[in-house]
Amino acid sequence: MLFARINYSQLRQLLEVIFLWCLCVPLVYAGAADYVYTTAIEQGERELGVKLGAAAPVAGAGQQVAGIGLGYGVTDHWFTELYLKQEHNGGARATLAEWENKWLFTETGQYLLDAGLLAELEVPLSGAAPWELRVGPLLQKEIGKFQLNGNLLFVRAFGMPDESGVPYTTNLACQWQVKYRWKPALEFGMQGLGEMGTWNHWSPVASQNHRMGPAVFGKIALGNRQAIKYNAAWLVGVSAAAPAHTLRSQLEYEF
Amino acid sequence: MKTIFLITLLFPFAALAADYTLVIKEHRFEPAELIVPSGVKIKLVIDNQDATPEEFDSHALNREKAIAANSRITLYLGPLEAGRYPFDGELHEDTARGVLIVR
Repeated sequence: MLFARINYSQLRQLLEVIFLWCLCVPLVYAGAADYVYTTAIEQGERELGVKLGAAAPVAGAGQQVAGIGLGYGVTDHWFTELYLKQEHNGGARATLAEWENKWLFTETGQYLLDAGLLAELEVPLSGAAPWELRVGPLLQKEIGKFQLNGNLLFVRAFGMPDESGVPYTTNLACQWQVKYRWKPALEFGMQGLGEMGTWNHWSPVASQNHRMGPAVFGKIALGNRQAIKYNAAWLVGVSAAAPAHTLRSQLEYEF
Repeated sequence: MKTIFLITLLFPFAALAADYTLVIKEHRFEPAELIVPSGVKIKLVIDNQDATPEEFDSHALNREKAIAANSRITLYLGPLEAGRYPFDGELHEDTARGVLIVR
């Protein structure tokens, strides 16, 4: 059913792109697959997605993340997606399920800012790890051919106690993105991800994790409401606690 | 101060918009060329009078939205600079094509 509406040539192109995408990950030593959430939601849209990330080591431990997910636009204002992902942190390996939900509270372009909400639950399927909840506002603004995004996320681990015995706190993370919508198949810009520490008592700057760098985006229409979407970024650590380099990417088949 | 800043971001200000309408009939946009003024926000109502769904798609306008059969959607666009902004109905691309002309 999934591939019934695309021809052999399109399917081969899709598989080639996914294969090349997968080959790219081991080339950079490690990273996280986190991406900048946007307020774009379309009713009835289904997405089969792959996300990959690799970040250079911090204190000797590199990280690689790979995930595959299926998403659906339930309404014009609610998108839900389930990801299965595997993380390699140094020698440790963990399999996780991630349930992402986005809600859009405004009509796109109606107000000064488009406003939405993200709620994402991460559940470990293997290994000893706590659950993690991410909740926060998503904001978007269009200015001509530029699209700006800024998100604040409150992140809280819970469930299994921390090994060190330190109680979990609610941490604050931020995301931002500037995108120039040049052509459908190639848009470009900058994006950044940051982790500030406890939401009401930020860590010293040297202990915060901030990364930023160039990003590319695009969508290739296949006809019959099908398309391949991609986005990728090379993020450079701009704080002492951040990985020196992160390569993150996301590839989606929209149908 | 941080709290005030966050509340301000979460409750955006409404902006005024002028109204325009596009009709989808027999898988075509009517009018196929719609002229609107530059520099102001546009409220564009798309009325799908067909018995089949359609999907409004425009990279130039940065909008992609499904329209159920015999129903309406509203898009808020701009302020736009003068120029031509093509759009299409993704489910009937051969016939459902149009341009927003901003002057």
